[in-house]
Amino acid sequence: MTVAREIGARLVSDVPALELRGVGKCFRLYRDINRSLKEKVINWRKRGYELFWALQDVDLTVYKGETISVIGPNGSGKSTMLRLMTGIMKPNRGSIATHGTIAALLDLGAGFHPDLTGRENIYLNASILGIRKKDLEPIFQDIIDFSDLGPFIDNQVKNYSAGMYVRLGFSIAINVNPDILLVDEVLAVGDESFQAKCLDRISRLQESGKTIVLVTHNADLAEAVSDRVLWLERGRVKMLGDPQEVVEAYHEAMSTRPEGTEFGNRDIVIESVQLLDGEGRPSEVFRTGEPLVLRLRYTARKPVEDPVFGFGFYDRLGLMVFGTNTRLREVDIPRVEGGGVVEFVIPSLSMLDGRYYVSVAAHTRDGQVNYHWLDKKYCFEVTSPGRDSGYLTMECDIRIYPRG
Amino acid sequence: MKEYLKKLFFYRELLLNLTVKEVKVKYKNSFIGFLWSMVNPVMMLGVYYVAFGIIFRLRALGMTRYEFYLLSGILPWNFFSLSLMQSVSAVVNNADLVKKVYFPREVLPLSYIGAASFHFLLQELVLVVFLLAFRVSLSPWIFAMPLLLLLQLVFTAGLSLYLSALNVFFRDIQHFTEIALLAWFWITPVVYPISFIQESFPAWAERIYMLNPMAHIVLLWQRITYNSPVNGPQAAYFSVEGFVYAVVLSVFLLLSGYYLFCRLEGRFAEFI
Repeated sequence: MTVAREIGARLVSDVPALELRGVGKCFRLYRDINRSLKEKVINWRKRGYELFWALQDVDLTVYKGETISVIGPNGSGKSTMLRLMTGIMKPNRGSIATHGTIAALLDLGAGFHPDLTGRENIYLNASILGIRKKDLEPIFQDIIDFSDLGPFIDNQVKNYSAGMYVRLGFSIAINVNPDILLVDEVLAVGDESFQAKCLDRISRLQESGKTIVLVTHNADLAEAVSDRVLWLERGRVKMLGDPQEVVEAYHEAMSTRPEGTEFGNRDIVIESVQLLDGEGRPSEVFRTGEPLVLRLRYTARKPVEDPVFGFGFYDRLGLMVFGTNTRLREVDIPRVEGGGVVEFVIPSLSMLDGRYYVSVAAHTRDGQVNYHWLDKKYCFEVTSPGRDSGYLTMECDIRIYPRG
Repeated sequence: MKEYLKKLFFYRELLLNLTVKEVKVKYKNSFIGFLWSMVNPVMMLGVYYVAFGIIFRLRALGMTRYEFYLLSGILPWNFFSLSLMQSVSAVVNNADLVKKVYFPREVLPLSYIGAASFHFLLQELVLVVFLLAFRVSLSPWIFAMPLLLLLQLVFTAGLSLYLSALNVFFRDIQHFTEIALLAWFWITPVVYPISFIQESFPAWAERIYMLNPMAHIVLLWQRITYNSPVNGPQAAYFSVEGFVYAVVLSVFLLLSGYYLFCRLEGRFAEFI
């Protein structure tokens, strides 16, 4: 019996497709791997390794027809989890039950033989994925079409470009039509049009009721395509649930560690950077439409002619939202020596909700020499009244003319 | 075990496809392609004829057609040694695949054996044609060829399952196999007839010698492909106990090798 429950716009059943119960996976980290018999004999007493738990106490039920994304920083156990699901590795603890056929997009084109043609490799690769010939025949043409390889399909794979290679691999994996599809970071490859095609295919698979487990670094992608998001941290489940909530919390946690850098010859040193609100109080949270003052305190160790001070705001993907400097604003500073203050006064912030990073810099007029550049070392939060969506607010009058 | 066999059966097409791949790839980019498998024994025959028939003038131990005797033993031996050499590192050499896709790993070593059997069959075909052409009489035993092939496959598969699984953990095995095969070759009656052992060594030494299952298998090949009475009774040596021993040992090796392979399989991906 299938009891359907609704997630977003789609129906997801209560029938489990993948069940992980108390799963733990332990690796032996060898100090210096003893691979030869001699070393093994000599060091038989010493335990030449340390235990490392890549996954611990993971409980997860993926329901039929559901799309789950697994996010987490590097080394959090995402890929290990996927490998356990496919059966490539066995868990040391707990159990994994799968219901239905599984295909994994772990590494596209794994198992391609360079000396065989694309066509021959399709047969080989499909059988590696567990597809029988009779099941392959009807989708064979689809695979070739989807890969966009055209006449190259009869060329040896060794002559393919990296992109062609991956396209063929993806095309096979996505067309073999498994009940459960495991995807690991593969959407990061291929050009934009191919990526769009892949996303489109994934949403079609979702519509046709396939179960998908997606592992990705890209939390925003996870939020966009999944029904639930699982956040792994150091091999444990940190959070599991509504994509928006999890991804928000994830971003929150990730951004508390801004990984700023600084460089420059330090003829001018930017000693401190302050973000002040309308009343001149240091703050980290601002509201859209309110003022923000960026105050830099600098010290010039020796007299510097004609320097330029500037700053930039970046969103969490690293894109510059806004930036300017004293040269662009035609504020000439003939010469600095000793300490001083530069203030950038923004009377009304235009950005909508989000976390923004701040870079500040002092450099020469032509920008060839940096005195001091602090790259994304500071951040602040913007909250907005919620009247607009997108990145920015703008003045916008609405006029309505009733007909007549 | 039953589970594993079921899985292996499900992936039978993969085994076939990998075998076909090996066959295709071996002679890819060569002009006459898989004809090499057939040219190979012809050339060997020529070389042996010149070496033993003309240079050494060796009618070895009273055999008139020594080249054919040699060929009938050396083809199955080469088949065995090639299968083993390739399959011992089968899992390790396909590390990429093993780490990234799930499928029963035993298809890897088995596919190399499959590809080697294809070449072997072509070579045997050439041998039979040559025997007919040079009017070396064939016996009805020739029809036992499929059975004998099966026996050798069981033995080779058993051994290579052991070696390829253990080789993941101890890479020494692949190097050791190389040397071991060289030694093994000389304690198998390929170059010299079995009568040589029987006549020059005491009975207890012969008994130890006969513990080598490959000796029995090679003897059987010589028996079915080269059994001319002109070569004396020893060339047609056949012992029932030896045959039974080889069968029992081969089946045991295959079963225990498969068991071991399945036990270790789950740890391949992390060790490679």
